[in-house]
This record gives sequence, structure tokens and C-alpha cells, in this order.
Amino acid sequence: MTISRRVFVKSGGLALVSLGLDPLFLARAALASNRPSAQPPDRPVLVCLFQRGAVDGLNMIVPHGEPLYYRERPRIAIPSTDVVDLDGHFGLHPSLAPLKSLWDNKSLAAIHAVGSPDATRSHFDAQDYMESGTPGVKSTSDGWLNRYCRHDQEHADTAFRAVAFGPQLPRILAGTSPALAIDDLQAFGLRVPQAAARDKLTRAFEELYEGAATGLLASSSQEGFAAIEVLRRVNPAQYRPANGAAYPQGRFGRALLQIAQLIKADVGLEIAFADLGGWDTHVNQGSSDGQLAARLRELGLGLAAFNQDLGERMRSVVVLTMSEFGRTIAENGNSGTDHGHATAMLALGGPVNGGKVLGKWPGLDPASRFEGRDVAVTTDFRDLFAEALARHLGARDLQPVFPGFAADTARFPGAIRTG
Amino acid sequence: MRLRFLTVWLALAVPTALSAQAPTPRDSALHALNRLAYGPRPGEVDSVARIGVMRWIERQLDFERLPDGRLAERERAFKLLDYDRAELAQRYGDALRERREMQRDMAQSGDTTRRRGVGGRPTREFRQLGGELQQLAVVRAAFSERQLREVMVDFWTNHFNVFIGKGADRFLTPSYIEETIRPNALGRFEDLLIATAKSPAMLFYLDNAQSVAPGASPPRNRPRAPRGLNENYARELLELHTLGVDGGYTQQDVIAVARIFTGWGIDRPQQGAGFAFHEWAHDRGDKQVFGVRFRNTGMDEGVRLLRLLAEQHATMHHVSRKLCARFVSDEPPDGCVDAAVEAWHHTNGDIRAVLRAIFTSPDFWAPQALRAKVKTPLEFVVSAVRATGAEPDSTLRLAQVVARLGQPLYLQPAPTGYPETQAQWVNSGALLGRMNAAVALAAGRLPGANVNLDDVLSSTGDHPALVDAVNARLLGGTMSAHTRAVIMAQLADVSDPAQARSLAVGLALGGPEFQRQ
Repeated sequence: MTISRRVFVKSGGLALVSLGLDPLFLARAALASNRPSAQPPDRPVLVCLFQRGAVDGLNMIVPHGEPLYYRERPRIAIPSTDVVDLDGHFGLHPSLAPLKSLWDNKSLAAIHAVGSPDATRSHFDAQDYMESGTPGVKSTSDGWLNRYCRHDQEHADTAFRAVAFGPQLPRILAGTSPALAIDDLQAFGLRVPQAAARDKLTRAFEELYEGAATGLLASSSQEGFAAIEVLRRVNPAQYRPANGAAYPQGRFGRALLQIAQLIKADVGLEIAFADLGGWDTHVNQGSSDGQLAARLRELGLGLAAFNQDLGERMRSVVVLTMSEFGRTIAENGNSGTDHGHATAMLALGGPVNGGKVLGKWPGLDPASRFEGRDVAVTTDFRDLFAEALARHLGARDLQPVFPGFAADTARFPGAIRTG
Repeated sequence: MRLRFLTVWLALAVPTALSAQAPTPRDSALHALNRLAYGPRPGEVDSVARIGVMRWIERQLDFERLPDGRLAERERAFKLLDYDRAELAQRYGDALRERREMQRDMAQSGDTTRRRGVGGRPTREFRQLGGELQQLAVVRAAFSERQLREVMVDFWTNHFNVFIGKGADRFLTPSYIEETIRPNALGRFEDLLIATAKSPAMLFYLDNAQSVAPGASPPRNRPRAPRGLNENYARELLELHTLGVDGGYTQQDVIAVARIFTGWGIDRPQQGAGFAFHEWAHDRGDKQVFGVRFRNTGMDEGVRLLRLLAEQHATMHHVSRKLCARFVSDEPPDGCVDAAVEAWHHTNGDIRAVLRAIFTSPDFWAPQALRAKVKTPLEFVVSAVRATGAEPDSTLRLAQVVARLGQPLYLQPAPTGYPETQAQWVNSGALLGRMNAAVALAAGRLPGANVNLDDVLSSTGDHPALVDAVNARLLGGTMSAHTRAVIMAQLADVSDPAQARSLAVGLALGGPEFQRQ
């Protein structure tokens, strides 16, 4: 960021104070003027990956030590010979085998029986609750990741502080704190084919907004032009993954690659989000092979490539997977599973308390099931998310992030190492 | 009534006219066109100033008498309007069946390489209809002469939000817009409220169709009917549609309201049929809602409750404040809200009278209200289309531009609808998106729009004259000296007149002045 820009933001803020305008803008302008000129190299990063459609937690982190699992799923259970054993009781779906070494070096943990206190089996409602962070309350208009950004003033806002990879900003990042939706890093900025013409037009708009914009239009456009400048330096078109990492083809792999790229570029990324669909396996879900296996393969290859690409940098990165609910314990008549309750989530990264299946496992016994059919929730998803915010990102106050929920360290599943 | 307001207006207008920064008739016309309409078309600021802005506002309120033949012609291109709910439901069913079969085939063959969501004819056709619904909103906003009505349709669609991505709402939303929102947009609030309560789209979206009196047993032919009370609609009805979050109700009131609405459901949604009251699901006990007792009278209880809610002061205040946030400023002054509430009291919730009170309130015309609001993505795209005289092409891509800028229509999952406030819309990515859209539109490259700038601005080698014309025709004279200087500097090395014009228009529409209204 050049001196003149900083001076502009500062003096613009001061001018507005005297006019008594727009407290929200003032808050942002104050942040902008205190912006450090370079990011510390090890800013912690949280990457959230949403498995939309409700992943079958029981075939992802398989309770192969439990005979009931095989009895309830005669056609779709993962044979114990195929399971990648973790601790004698749980094991990975064979498609997740690329993650086994991360389990062994203790940077991968699974949290089982995690979910929402709300009983809904509607994808729409349950995703909504998981993203708003307020299960049971529909009228929350913003997402919990955005509220974290708004209330945590420890970290300066930069254009790339919170980035979702996709065409639109997801609910989880919606709100008044600045957040970017990026489909393609290479296309970020003004779309003019020739570089010289693009630079000229960019400068023209930058001047227009510097001179004539007020309030949020001024601060947001500043952030945007600063981001363009940063990307020009980073040059995403030239990016090659490190350590021979090979991301899977497709939108998900591309999103992970771009997240890795932003992390390495030290542009102030703190929150990244991407989603992947195809988990709603009502019909012919498959077992060691098949529909679910293919989706898990993409997930496993993606996470392994991401870990390899970032290498040492993973020491300050936590990746968290999430899904709106799990699926029925018993398979249905179509060799699939229906909407259930608790599911499993994965945590990956240097700060993760890995090599463990965390959370209180309620078992598959009919007496301990939710409504007689589903895995019961023993960890409220907010306890896991709150732990990641508090112990990894250093959030001080979780009350405004999860309103109506008293986060309690005693209930944290222990996904992040303390000390 | 009209005379009374006119007198008030004149009384207020005189001191304003005497003050130093009195808005000119053109300023007032631009302000009204920005707020009651989706921005001016070329020459419209002058024509509204000529007939008088208050007279133009009255014409907009009295919209039935405004001819709208050009729009009617355009609407004929939308097949969606030829189908009723049952036909849409059937097409949805076809698409769903096709998808299921495809998934089964894929699963059986183990073929996972085919892209999900790419379907055959039924799927494509149904998706096309969903796109038509969004595009129709953009086309109406851009081309209707009845601009205030379109603004109010957008306002109520947002106030009584439904999410087209949720199950049956995929085929219930079109009739929600056509039959529930549009006919009531400038009618009485109570009628609109009752219409939304009975609409299958809302009954499905907020789960009231799933709400059953505790302990009620379904008829034998419906063994899979839902059980138990669902409070979602009751809560949002109080919190969002009527009283507001601080409206003074309790959780006990929410439960009582949910009990009153048990039985309000949908008759065979998969056949697209409409509202049905299911006697078996209704809670027959006595209920109390903020002290008012409701004995079992079946469906009438709900209607009585909606009427009661519509006349609560908290409702008038909550909805009036939201209207003022839309028309005056994000944080509206009390004066215009009070004026709106008073008109609501006097007229039992005649929406036109409430709007008239806002448009004649001094707060609406105050200098600090002018250009105080940032356009939403819909307002930005539609106002740019209007300013340049662009025509949507035969595709549905203009609505996709609005979606890419952050406001996919009918796709807000939260029942709050899209916020009125600028913090939602202004961020660095969104602003860059607007600059790109502006430059593309000016160059005739915006997907979905055909533009012929010759209709708006003659191309000229005289750059000062060009920039003056851009200011007058597209920005209504709001261009700052700084913006003018920057555009002039950019034009300095452009010799081709058409290129200069397109650059000037792109910078003007993508620049800060045009983001405000």
C-alpha cells in the first residue's frame, strides 16, 4: 500500500468524524489506517470446507469395531478388510487412504457424533443453521464467520482477510464485514484483455473513487484496488504447486489450490471457505467403491495435495470440514441412506490435536440413538467451531459470534492443541 | 385527503425553496426517479421536472391509469406466465423423476464422471422457467411505466421473502409473485398479509404446512402426515412480517400463534394445488395472544389474528420504518416514520396513503437524503440499463448479472430478505464487479443486454461536450468536478469518437456517483 493511499484513508476518516457520518465506515477506516504494511509471516488461517448434502459420517469415519454397523448396512458397509484402520475401532474409508500419513504424524483428527441441537432433517434448514451459527433461529441474517471478522478487531481487515471460493458469497460469510467471493483469482480485477489497457483503466477507476467516493464506497474501493495490486505481485497465472502436489481435477481442487496460493502469498488471508456437493446419497451409495467413494476420493486427494503443497506452512493452518447432518444408521431399500442427525467432521493442520477420533461416541445401540434411528449428537457443532476460533485464531469473545450460546472450553472437543 | 397532503407539502416546500441550497426542479425529479423508480431514462429528468414532480408521484401512485403496453408486449416472451401452478408442479415432477433416474443410472454404472445437474429436456426446461422468473423481474423493473409499483413489488417480495431453492418453492414461487405479491403491492397491508399467510409458497417455506396440533391424528389415508407443532411461521410472522423483533411479544405468544395456524396447509403440493385448511390438524383448544383470547373457530382464528396484527402500532411502526429505510435513508429519521404511521392509522393501512405520507414528508426531500443510499445490485443493473436505453436480449443473462453482483433474485435463504442497508452491498469484490459490468455495458459487451449508445449520446470528437452530455444524460448532472477531470484525462489520448464515448460512459456508470441514488 502506498503512502498516499494510507493518508487518504486517514484524512477521509477524519473529515467524516467532523461531519458526524456513518459509524460503520469510521470503524473500517480506523482499521484501514492502522493496517500493517506487511503481514506477519505466520498469521493463523482457518479453512472451512462445507460438504453440502449431508455426508454419511459412518462410511467416512467407519466404526468397523462395531458389529451393529455391519448388521445395519448389509450392502453398503465398508468391509473391515478395506477399512484403513485408525485405532482398532474406527477407520478411514479406503478413498481417504491418502490421509493416513497425516493421521500418523498427528496432524489429522476426526470428530464424531457432531451436529446440530436442532432436529431438522431439511438440507435447507440445517445448512442455514450451520452457516448462521444459530440453530433453531431462522431470522439471523449474517453468518458466523462474518460475525467473527466483525467482532474480532485484533486482526486488521485486508481485502483478502475472508475469501469464499465460488461465484457467490455463501451464507456463512454474509454480513457487514468485508468478505470476497472469488471464482478465479486470475480473473479478479477489471476484465480487459490487454495488460496495458487494463492497468490504465484500473488507475482511472482508482482515481475516480479516491476523489469522489465517500463512506463505504471509499474504503471498499480502496480495499479492492489494494487487492488488485497484491495479486499483480503474486501473479496467480504463474503459480505451480510445491513438493509435487497434484490437486484433483474440478472445482474443489481448484479452490484448494487457490487457497494455498493466497496463504503462501501472505496477503492477510485468515478465513477461507469452499464447498463441495454430491453427498446426498439416497440411492446406490456404494461401499468401498461407488458414488460416495468417488466423492471421498476427491476430498481425500484434495486435502492431501493441499497439505503437501503448503508443506511447512501448515504449521499455522487448520482445515475443518463440515456437513449439515449425517445419515441414517441403517441402509434403506435403495442401497442408500436417508437424512439422519450427527455426522463426522475432520480437522487437519499443524495446530490440530491429531491422531485421535474426538468427541464422545454414543454408539449405534438402538437405545442411544436419536429418535431411534440416527447417530445422536454429543458435540454441538458450535463447540467445535468455537474451539477453532478461540484456540487457533485467538478469538477473545465468542458471545457475539454465537449469540444465545455460552461457549465453554470444558465442552470443546479438543481438536486444537493447547500448549 | 389528497388536498390535505398537498397543503402540507406546499407549507413545507416554501421554506425549502427560500434556503440557499434549494433543490432545483431537476434535482427533485432526479431524486424521485432514483427512489420511486429504477433511475431515469434519457430525458426523463427533464420530462418529470416539466410536469411537476408531485404530479408525477401522484401518477405513479395511481398506477392503474398509466398505460403499460410496451411491457405487456415484452411479457409475452415469457412462457412462464402461460403456466399455472399445477402445470409448473408437473414440469417440476418430470425434472425430478429424470434426475432420479439419471442418478440411479450413474450409480449402477459406477460412472461418476458425468457432471451432476446436467439433465435432459425436462430438467433444462424447468431450469429455464426458473431463470425466466428472475429475468422477468429485471425486465419489468427496467421497462414498466408503473415504476413505483415495480419498486413496491420488490420491496414486498423481500419483506415477505421466500426461497425458490427450497423444495416445492421451486414451482410455487411464480404464482406467489403473480397472485400474492403483485395484486396487493399497493393495496391494503392487511390483504397482503393474509394473502401471504395463505400462499402455498410461504406455507411451505416457513414450514407451516408441517405444523400439526400436538396429539392430532392424521386421517387414515395420510399415514405419513407430519406430527407436532412447528413454530417457524409464527415466529417470523411476528418478528419479521408484522410487529418487529422488539414488538413486545413473548415465546408463549409465538406458541399460541403457531397453534392458531395449525391446519393452514397445502392441498397436495405435488399437484400444485393451493391453500387448504386441514380440520384434523387444527388445535381446538383456547389460545391467548398478547392478552386476546382465541376460541376454537377453525380457520377464522388465523384470519382474525392476522387482522389484529395488521392494526398493531408496533406493526405500523416496524413496516413504516422499513419503507422509510427503502425510500429515505438506511437509518431513516423519526419524522418520516411518524408521518407514515399516522397515515396508516387514518387509512387502516392503505399502502398508497402511507407512501404518499413518506413522499410528502420533509425528510424525503431533505438535502441529506439526496443520494444518501447506495443502489442494490438490482437497482444498479436496472438503472444502468435504463440510463443507456439498453434492451435485454432473448437470453436470461441480465438476471445473471444481477446475481453475480450479489443479489440472486428469489435466492435469499434467510426469511429476513435482502437487507436495505449499504453495508450488505458495498465491498471490494462487488464494486469491482460493478465497474466491470459498467465498462462491458458501455462497450456493448454486457451479457444479456443490447445497447446502442447512438440513441442516447451522439459520438463526437469534442471531449468537453461529450463529458457534459454524459453528465446531463446519464448522471442527471451529479458529476463532480473531480470525476469530470479524471474522465477528461482518460480521453486525452483517445481519438476515435465511438471509443471515447464508450470509455466515458463506462467510467461514469462504474464510478462513485452512479452507485448512489
